[in-house]
Amino acid sequence: MIAEYSSLITLIALTAILAYSFYAVLIAGQLSLAQVGLASLAAFTSALVVPSEPLFGFIPPLVIGIVFGMIVGAFAAFILGLPVIRLRGVFLAIATLAFGEMVRIFLINQTWTNGAQGLSFAKLVGPGVAWIALIVVAYWFWRLSGSRLGRAFAAIREDELAATTMGIDVPRYRMASFVIAGAVAGLYGVLLAHFSRFADPNEFSFTAAVDGLVTAVVGGVTLFIGPVLGSAFLSLLPEVQRAIGIDAGWIRPTISGVLLLVVILFLPGGLSGLIPVRKSAKRLNVDPSFQPTLPALPAVGSELVNLSGLGKSYGGVHAVQSVDLTVNAGEVLGLIGPNGAGKTTLVNMVTGLTPPTTGTGSVLGVPLTASTKAHRLAQAGVARTFQQIKLFNRLSALENVLVGGYRITQDTLLRRLFFLPSARRLEREAVAMASAQLVRVGLGEKAANAAGDLSYGDQRRLEIARALASHPSLLVLDEPAAGMNHVEAASLSELIRSLAADGIAVLVIEHNVRMMLATCDRIMVLNFGEIIAFGEPSEIARDPRVLEAYLGSAGSDEDVEAASVLASETLAHVVDDRAAEHPEHDGAAAADDATTPEENR
Amino acid sequence: MRRKLLSAAVCGSTLLLALTACSAPADSGSTAGGELTGTGTGAECVIDSAIPIGASFSLTGAAAQYGAGQKNALELAVTTLNEVGGVTYDLTVEDDATDPKEAIQVFDSFISAGASVIIGPTLSNTAKQTDPIAQDAGVPVLGVSNTAAGITEIGDYIFRDSLTEDAVIPQTVKAAVDSLGVQKVVVMYANDDAFTESGYQAFAAALEDQNVEVAETLTFSKADTDFRALLNKAKQSDADAIIVSGLIDAAVPLVTQAREIGIDTPIIGGNGFNSPALIEGAGDAAEGVIVGAAWNSASDNEQNVKFIDDYTAAYSSAPDQFAAQAYAGMQIIDQAVRSECSGERDGIKAGLGTITDVPTVLGNVTLNANRDAEHDALVQIVQDGQFVILN
Repeated sequence: MIAEYSSLITLIALTAILAYSFYAVLIAGQLSLAQVGLASLAAFTSALVVPSEPLFGFIPPLVIGIVFGMIVGAFAAFILGLPVIRLRGVFLAIATLAFGEMVRIFLINQTWTNGAQGLSFAKLVGPGVAWIALIVVAYWFWRLSGSRLGRAFAAIREDELAATTMGIDVPRYRMASFVIAGAVAGLYGVLLAHFSRFADPNEFSFTAAVDGLVTAVVGGVTLFIGPVLGSAFLSLLPEVQRAIGIDAGWIRPTISGVLLLVVILFLPGGLSGLIPVRKSAKRLNVDPSFQPTLPALPAVGSELVNLSGLGKSYGGVHAVQSVDLTVNAGEVLGLIGPNGAGKTTLVNMVTGLTPPTTGTGSVLGVPLTASTKAHRLAQAGVARTFQQIKLFNRLSALENVLVGGYRITQDTLLRRLFFLPSARRLEREAVAMASAQLVRVGLGEKAANAAGDLSYGDQRRLEIARALASHPSLLVLDEPAAGMNHVEAASLSELIRSLAADGIAVLVIEHNVRMMLATCDRIMVLNFGEIIAFGEPSEIARDPRVLEAYLGSAGSDEDVEAASVLASETLAHVVDDRAAEHPEHDGAAAADDATTPEENR
Repeated sequence: MRRKLLSAAVCGSTLLLALTACSAPADSGSTAGGELTGTGTGAECVIDSAIPIGASFSLTGAAAQYGAGQKNALELAVTTLNEVGGVTYDLTVEDDATDPKEAIQVFDSFISAGASVIIGPTLSNTAKQTDPIAQDAGVPVLGVSNTAAGITEIGDYIFRDSLTEDAVIPQTVKAAVDSLGVQKVVVMYANDDAFTESGYQAFAAALEDQNVEVAETLTFSKADTDFRALLNKAKQSDADAIIVSGLIDAAVPLVTQAREIGIDTPIIGGNGFNSPALIEGAGDAAEGVIVGAAWNSASDNEQNVKFIDDYTAAYSSAPDQFAAQAYAGMQIIDQAVRSECSGERDGIKAGLGTITDVPTVLGNVTLNANRDAEHDALVQIVQDGQFVILN
């Protein structure tokens, strides 16, 4: 029976390997169609090096072909990646598609490939070799899925900007997934050519690329076994139809198409979505004995942030003008101001997301320049949350926080491949640290829930937990209390105070002025990108310019609320300043819209 | 949740079905018993069991236009031959979807199901992947449309009744030189297709033999449909004829556009041009196009006339060369079976080795020592909307 279906069995394995090369980029959120082009390059170049006799008498020719093919695939992917890795979505797909077509046309016009006539290969691959190769590849992706590298890929797939602020070097990791895909594609090309004994460049066409992509998507990218399921499903479809006696012809592809549609419609996660897995295989680990000792935070009072004359203009619009600021370890610095005042632009500059146009600054020893990368600052110890929540929605709460721990954990893929005990220990430590942060923000019960399913307030807290998981020296919170009621806001305030007590410098933007007055050591008030007041909460509450800014604004409800708080605290001043003019607001508001320039690329 | 259960049920049962199909015992080789040999030889040969024949054609996908005619003609041939009596055939036609990977599995299933001989596949590059499997398993293969070099070299079980480009093209070039006095040509070919590229190689060799000057060699892609730029270049070289090795998809626009821009020199095509579609598609522009062919549709050979009539009656469309070659393939297999009076694999293989001057719709066919077909090719020219033999 095995012999009878040996081609089918072999092809299931080979197609699955091709699907893994798509899987490798899909798990990092990239859509690349270059894989069959890379496979083709690997297959044809391997024909140049595969000897007919074992090398040195003991290295089998196929091993030489595989190693060579994988190197060619990885190297070609790297070269291709250099220009195209910045592209996203459909643009990346088109660029990689063009590459595949380029490879096909190049190979057709080479004499050493015998052009469109194709090239014969020795028959070196049977079901055994194909399945061993598949098992090795599947094993590798299985061990990847729980490692720090695997989590970084998932984070990039879910939200690149958030991943960057966790300290993940996004372009480097995207390139890594590209190169891994290239190596796997090279393996596929060499195996396929040495299985079918013949290859011509036209076989590695756009259609083949789409077939590979469909296999990966049908199998699903949420679980490492997906490509195998996808391949088995699609390879068996024609065989099954043949076996049950459906006549050859148009009806078979039609049935296959309908079944494919059914899978895509009812199983958005692919066939692997059918396999019951807990949202997170890991549970909380609150045993304090697993907590590793972390490096000490900077001494309380030491200067962490130093900005001088820092500013940002978008064309003629000055979003932030000439801000001088120092933030010290252990203090809570509040940043308030009407909508569009430039608060988010300022913290985006501090966290490296927006390059400043004027002035200088340094954050945790990293100078702020046009070329400062956010992930560098994150690695130095800056963590942040976002005004618009940026969680990794399809990952569980615990996994979100584990990604947050990227900065202080080690990569475990190599250790995991060999099941070293240290892999287990490191993973356990990472879970223990993440668990502690989840419990700290009060989400211990919801560790296994998908982040996207949490309530708004819980999402806010989860974002804070994720930021804390990186053991930051400077924590930037952008409107953390938005959507919280007074009780929740009060406990948030307590949390912030306790963080400062631990020695973390906290920079908070918040519209809840009552909470800010109660929480902050110092408050800076921005309006039209300029500092209009800076000092202790009690001074700020009495500052006439602050009142003017708030009461004069025709801003949102939050502004009105903030104004009323200020008004109640300093009623006398309010009366005096009633006659203030309504300032123009549009310029600064427009600038504040561009809070996350990375997203608009 | 219910939706998830439903989809789980749908996909689960599909997979289950797939697995049971896999584990179903197949009667591999069971037909290779003694019933496939009979008594008598030639017309008197009687074999009790029907001889299982597998045919793998491209019924869907890019080459579907060729596979459909092949399937029809083969089924017609089997029906006709089964009526003769003595020897009957059990034909299974499978679709390789123009995908070599599918074709490999089709060959596997034919071999394990006990097919005595396999016909096909449609495309040469597919044959290079499938035929070694049959060779290893000791199952004879008769290619009916593989024209590329290197097919029958795969092994001694691999035969074909389709003339190679090397057999047809030299005759075409010679006829053009003799009857039109062609001295200088422009050669155009699709360089990304195995069939058209090997056609080009045959043209180049034949032109050299005939001492014809090649003014220019221009390449295009099999997917191209606009040839005006290339044709303008060809026009400037002031050649006596344009030689084209392309598929029929390129033939129609190329010929039409050549006439549009005022090229009135003869256009000489390879096997790809030999289709009624050329005349239908290009109309008046096709006049004067010279095509080498393995099959003469206008032949008054009795078998051929009957074939065309039967085919047209059964499928209400005229057969093309692919259909004729498939039909002839079945005639050759019938001859091979009867000569040894054996439907066994090795019997058919031995029988195919003795095919000499067998009358078919293609004319009298011989399979030579290299297991390649030998029969008269002909050179046709389009005149008054019809292919006529160029003298």
